[in-house]
Amino acid sequence: MKKDRRASSESSGARRAGKGGGNSRKVTYGLLALAVVLLLGSTIGSTRAALTYYSENYTAEITVSQIGVSLVENGKVVSSRDYEKNEWKMANNAGEGAANGALLKGMLKDGEKLALNKSYEEKLSVRNSGTIDEYVRVRIYKYWTRKVGENSSEKVTTLSPSLIKLNLVNEGQWIKNPDDVQAIANGGEKECMELYYKGILPSGSETAVFADSIMIDGQVAADAEIIRDGKTIKTVYKYDGVEFHVDVEVDAVQTHNAQDAIKSAWGVDAAALGIL
Amino acid sequence: MKFMEKYGKLIAMSAAALCMTAALTIESSLAYFTTYVSAGGGGVVNLGSSTVIDEEVEEMTKLITITNPSDRSDCFVRVKVFSGTEVTAAVSGDGNWRRGENDYWYYTPVLPAGASTTVLNAKINVPEGFDKDNFNVVVVQECTPVVYDENGNETADWNTVIGGEDDWKEAGE
Repeated sequence: MKKDRRASSESSGARRAGKGGGNSRKVTYGLLALAVVLLLGSTIGSTRAALTYYSENYTAEITVSQIGVSLVENGKVVSSRDYEKNEWKMANNAGEGAANGALLKGMLKDGEKLALNKSYEEKLSVRNSGTIDEYVRVRIYKYWTRKVGENSSEKVTTLSPSLIKLNLVNEGQWIKNPDDVQAIANGGEKECMELYYKGILPSGSETAVFADSIMIDGQVAADAEIIRDGKTIKTVYKYDGVEFHVDVEVDAVQTHNAQDAIKSAWGVDAAALGIL
Repeated sequence: MKFMEKYGKLIAMSAAALCMTAALTIESSLAYFTTYVSAGGGGVVNLGSSTVIDEEVEEMTKLITITNPSDRSDCFVRVKVFSGTEVTAAVSGDGNWRRGENDYWYYTPVLPAGASTTVLNAKINVPEGFDKDNFNVVVVQECTPVVYDENGNETADWNTVIGGEDDWKEAGE
């Protein structure tokens, strides 16, 4: 009897196992099907972007969002980076293979020497060279270097960046980063200044200029020593031969979902800055 | 409980697979359209300047000229003549020289690199009976780089120059 009961029990367990295995397969197949649907769904965006309709008479092409931005100096584009036909198109005035554009190339005429306190034209603006509207900001870096050896130079940190006077204009449209303003108000020196363009820059449009001139303050010549050698009197300036630099970076971001996009790309609260 | 023991692992694995699959769809919604460009430039500030003073004496008159031997820097120059109370010097020059603050004589045009000023005369008056071979008339000259005022005119900022005999240093010191 004992043997019969055990056999009966094993038979019952096998049945339960068979029923459970069927459920497991159903769940697995169900999940697999769901995963396939989700995977397909995730690829629809790129498929849609590439969709092109052909017929005998027409070629209908769906235009995808193409963002682009250019930095303009005195009316001429010095550097641009536009997304066109699924690739980035980059161009600048610094020659083949250069990663960045060249500013201030035309500041001095042939044979002209840089004069202190003289104001040179330097009109800088941003152009939307893409096919979608965008928000833009610029970051301006000012600093000094001195040549060390033939091909290298080092930063001169004892000379103030404020002696490089890039005259910022249209401050109603170009909002300064409040942190930078605060730092300068507290007597600090800022090598980098951020400006945010207020509002949307439509495709094909150009902003008002954010700077219109540049000048090197004569205070750079304040630190000097006069050395007499017989009839010759030599004025030796501490900062003779230093080189000033102005670097400008332009960033652009889409207008769709702007608050989050700007927060993600630039790390700032666009609404608080008042640029939306 | 038995159900969870049997299918718990399967459900957990399936849920993990679902989460990972769903995560694939999140990427596109977090990627925003952005772009950037950059450009830079600058220039060298050449400040080095030197001047050579040349004094000749003809018939008790010092003929003073200043030369700017620099090959790159223009400058402005000014001259001051010191004499004693008994021996005096009457300074005069052509239209390029102008008497200004603190008895300095200012050469009004820019002195370009490699050029010399016109002559500034210092006529020395020695009283009767004074030893004509034993007196001092000292000429001090200073230079400063060319800067520009707010109207874009070339000007000299004499406040930024360390000048005068007290600030001079002999070469090699």
